[in-house]
Amino acid sequence: MAHFLRTYGTLLGMVLLVGFFWISLPDTFMTARNWLNISQQVSMLAVVAAVMTVVMVMGDFDLSVGSMASLAGVVAAVMFVQGFGIAAGVAAALAVGLLGGLVNGLLVSLIGILPFVATLATLTMYSGLAFVISGGKTIFGRDIPQGFADFARGGIALGGDKPLVLPYLTLTALAVVALVWLLLEQTSYGRRLYAIGGNMEAARLAGVRVTWLRLTAFGFTGVGAAVAGLMYAARVASANPTQGAGLMLSAIAAVFLGMTMAENGQPRVLASLAGVVVLGVMDNGLTQMQVDSYVREVLVGLIILLAVSISALGRRAVTGR
Amino acid sequence: MALQFTRRAAIMAAGFAALSASMAVAQGEKVALITPYLAQPGTQFYVEAFQARAAELGWEVNVIDTAGDVAAVIARMEDVTTQGVSAIVINVDPAQVGAGLAAAAAANIPVIGMDAGTDPLVRANVTSNGYAMAAETAVYVANRIAGAGNVVMFTFDAFPPVQVRGVVADAVFANFPDIKVLDRITPNVDDGGIADSRAKMEAILAANPEPGSIKAVWAAWDQPALGALQAIEAAGRGGEGIVITGIDANPQARDAIAAGGNFEASVAQDFAGIGRTTADTVARVLAGEVLRQNVVYVPTVLITAANVKDAK
Amino acid sequence: MPQLSLSGLVKTYGAARALDGAGLVLRGGEVHALMGENGAGKSTLIRILAGLERADAGEILLDGRVLTLGSPAAAEAAGLRFLHQELQVVPGLSVAENMHLARDYPTRFGLVDWRALHLAAEAALQRLGVGHIGARVPMARLGPGDQMLVRIAATLLQGSGPAPWLYVLDEPTAALTGAEAARLFTAIARLKAAGAGVLYVSHRMDEVLALADRVTVLRDGAHTSTEARADTDQARLIHAMTGRELSDMYPARQTAALGPVLLSVRGLAAAGLASLDLDLRAGEVVGLAGLAGSGRNAALKALIGAVARRGRVELAGAALAVTPAGTWAQGLAYVPRERRAEGVMLLRALAETVSLPHLGALSRLGFLDRRAERGAVAARGAEVRLKARGPGQPVGQLSGGNQQKVLFARALLGRPKVLLLDEPTRGVDVGAKFDIYSLIRGLSAQGVAVLIASSDLPELIGLCDRIAVLHGGVHTQTLAAEGLTEAELLARCYESPTR
Repeated sequence: MAHFLRTYGTLLGMVLLVGFFWISLPDTFMTARNWLNISQQVSMLAVVAAVMTVVMVMGDFDLSVGSMASLAGVVAAVMFVQGFGIAAGVAAALAVGLLGGLVNGLLVSLIGILPFVATLATLTMYSGLAFVISGGKTIFGRDIPQGFADFARGGIALGGDKPLVLPYLTLTALAVVALVWLLLEQTSYGRRLYAIGGNMEAARLAGVRVTWLRLTAFGFTGVGAAVAGLMYAARVASANPTQGAGLMLSAIAAVFLGMTMAENGQPRVLASLAGVVVLGVMDNGLTQMQVDSYVREVLVGLIILLAVSISALGRRAVTGR
Repeated sequence: MALQFTRRAAIMAAGFAALSASMAVAQGEKVALITPYLAQPGTQFYVEAFQARAAELGWEVNVIDTAGDVAAVIARMEDVTTQGVSAIVINVDPAQVGAGLAAAAAANIPVIGMDAGTDPLVRANVTSNGYAMAAETAVYVANRIAGAGNVVMFTFDAFPPVQVRGVVADAVFANFPDIKVLDRITPNVDDGGIADSRAKMEAILAANPEPGSIKAVWAAWDQPALGALQAIEAAGRGGEGIVITGIDANPQARDAIAAGGNFEASVAQDFAGIGRTTADTVARVLAGEVLRQNVVYVPTVLITAANVKDAK
Repeated sequence: MPQLSLSGLVKTYGAARALDGAGLVLRGGEVHALMGENGAGKSTLIRILAGLERADAGEILLDGRVLTLGSPAAAEAAGLRFLHQELQVVPGLSVAENMHLARDYPTRFGLVDWRALHLAAEAALQRLGVGHIGARVPMARLGPGDQMLVRIAATLLQGSGPAPWLYVLDEPTAALTGAEAARLFTAIARLKAAGAGVLYVSHRMDEVLALADRVTVLRDGAHTSTEARADTDQARLIHAMTGRELSDMYPARQTAALGPVLLSVRGLAAAGLASLDLDLRAGEVVGLAGLAGSGRNAALKALIGAVARRGRVELAGAALAVTPAGTWAQGLAYVPRERRAEGVMLLRALAETVSLPHLGALSRLGFLDRRAERGAVAARGAEVRLKARGPGQPVGQLSGGNQQKVLFARALLGRPKVLLLDEPTRGVDVGAKFDIYSLIRGLSAQGVAVLIASSDLPELIGLCDRIAVLHGGVHTQTLAAEGLTEAELLARCYESPTR
């Protein structure tokens, strides 16, 4: 029983949350349209949370994902301003993401700086670079190609009375989550990352190439952050050197929420996705209920604390200390 | 653990009950006002005036601040669309929130801009008239120098809202055959615009040493006007009666005007008026009126030594 | 002398009965050893004594009066002190400050009186006979043995509260070197002379026999025997613990012809190791003996590639790789000394620890073949007689012996040519020890070459064909194990290299 609640307590909380909004907003909340909306709203956060899970599996952190997202968006936009096409802009942004991620990996794995410190430093660096490249201005309007912005508006028509659309942004997020799931849960690469998180020295002595794996995992996270930055830029049809800043804390919050529903409190990507959905549903439901936006933030923080506390108490009840 | 679980359910239930109770069930229209910039002072003036007028109209207003996050503005527009509000007011460039506008349009919910920008999906944008503001100060200059003499202009054509001000002033001065535009300067604004404007003005003063050879300085916003004022005073030519005007009436400009020196006039936007007029515009749309104009201008006020102490 | 008697203690966790009528009598001025296999109920008994658990039934009497141990504070008030394997120390603070952590610092005019603090600490250290530890030294500079002595000395500080009279030491030497353990034994003798009692819980037969006045053995939660030291010996104790005779402990050698040389080591050197030359043949079991710091453990770490090494090493004729990833792939397998720190992933499923070095072989195009993994883990688990709920059980929930078996299953999964074992039975109960010895025998019969570094000399003599002796990082001699006595091997360990 205790085991069941520890594992599924947060999931049950999610069901209660959804049930509450369903009852409070009988006509509008539990509709396909609203859920498609939520899926699109959280798509960027889902991508960042998924790739954040990759490094958190190793017991590491990447605080630079938010500023990397901003930087990637700005890089793409500046490429567009210079007259390059969509493909070139996207490729440049992804390359910057990979490079920035590898720099993080290098600092953490080869030089041996604590991830918290290393990525805190690169957070400021990448954010500064975004300001330098954009000149501190928001790039928008005719500079952003129509096709780029249209991607975030479009989707696959699902039919129905009032035509429903499965947004491309949602599909992109699902693709990234699926990719991370495959990587972490189905490949030897992922298993080795979990081993590093489980016991780094034991993993090294068992023949795991710890340095190389940490380096590449951070590279992966950098690319993911860039993907999220591009999605964001497409959604707002503009790029601004600070627009991704909010993603980092929300992503970490989502992974932590997810960890409360995974066995032994380990980061799992599908659990992180569930954490993202909780945050998205809270935002959506509370906005519809006209709860003040500042009160909303307090409530979101409370929910995170509640879930993590329950999980900690549950673990204490099991181990008896 | 079972006990803990029950406790948790109780906490959540209590929290949500309190939350539900806090949502006053008002009768009137539900209007959402969404801005990423609530922390900025100007924005607060609009929003407070909007809320005051909305209260008179009996509306239930939901003010949503996304703290700088523009994508969240889109998300919240979608949410309130789902909720089925009567109207949405935005305070952000419509070009950045196209997806939100499309969602609202699909649900037939009108969107009104409050100092936002024009867009086919925005019923009306309520703002100040940049053309009129420039005309006010340009005409003030022309009248003060009796339609004759050399004028120095400070403009900035790279930024559209400022560019229109320069165009209007050009037209006004061209209409006076005895006014000659001595120079049309685009200052470097990296440092805020005051220092470089002062340097440029000092160069012009040096090139035109004769008293009376410069009659006036017209600036498209306040910072260059302040820079020109510093240059003139530093050159010891404050007594020649050179007339300086700016636009925006920021606090520093108001101080200069109140001091009674060469800086004589600027134009103030009526932020509270914009908020009130936005509410009235929403009311017109909700009453079923089809707006012919997609921009609604709120009158501005010319600030001079005569009214600088009273005008807000 | 005070006397604490426990009788008829029963404690159940769900369906499992951890204690089933256990009892013993502890007296001041006496060292009482408590032995038993893992799961025999030793830890539960200690937890009850410490006030961390309450017995379901049973009686605890202090000098004939009923004692209720409902909390750690109650245990402390009754004069009981507990020292666990995992010490609670603050490395950054001085010895004297660590000793005063649980009490008020002496003050003068409201400020800490540092002089009085250091004097009090020095006095307590002297009383324990460990004056070699300076009171002002940062705790981090001391080894684990001295840290433990500091903890004991802290209980001897004069002043507040009732004086302690009974010390419970749970596997105190698990992390200590021989010299450190010797100092601990001196301190224990001092405590005893001063009238204090000691409950000494240990797997280590030699320590128990050297220290204890009386020995109590638990089996399956029940009291099996309590005997005076003079009336018992190793054979009797092992029999009491396991129901098995000592002669069965080391399975008989199966006489098989040795195969070709699998591992050839020439001039191996690394940090802590000056030179080692060795040929290891297929089917051969070779031991590395030596005192603490002799380089026996460093040699294994150098071979697996965990530390940089010099010298020429060949495995089946090919130069040995220099990283763990390479050596495992070549057919070397390694069971590390520090099980928890270097071996297992406590929170993860045991299957993940077992398959970790072999993921490449268990994957196709990078994708893990979970069915093959499950099959291989189950097969190796059965081979090492692993007792677990299933491959998904977290390692941390297993007993020490079963955690060690997880590491053996891991070593066997790749069908290694050469097996490197560092202290293979450390902190393992007698039953699991026997399983591990049988396993080593079986492997050598299959032609695996085994290299064992161990501080347990009877174990080396009982298992190995040959024993290489190291002293101060230098390989001094290689002995045939047959007919060697423990005393003789120990004497050889003390011999310096002849120059």
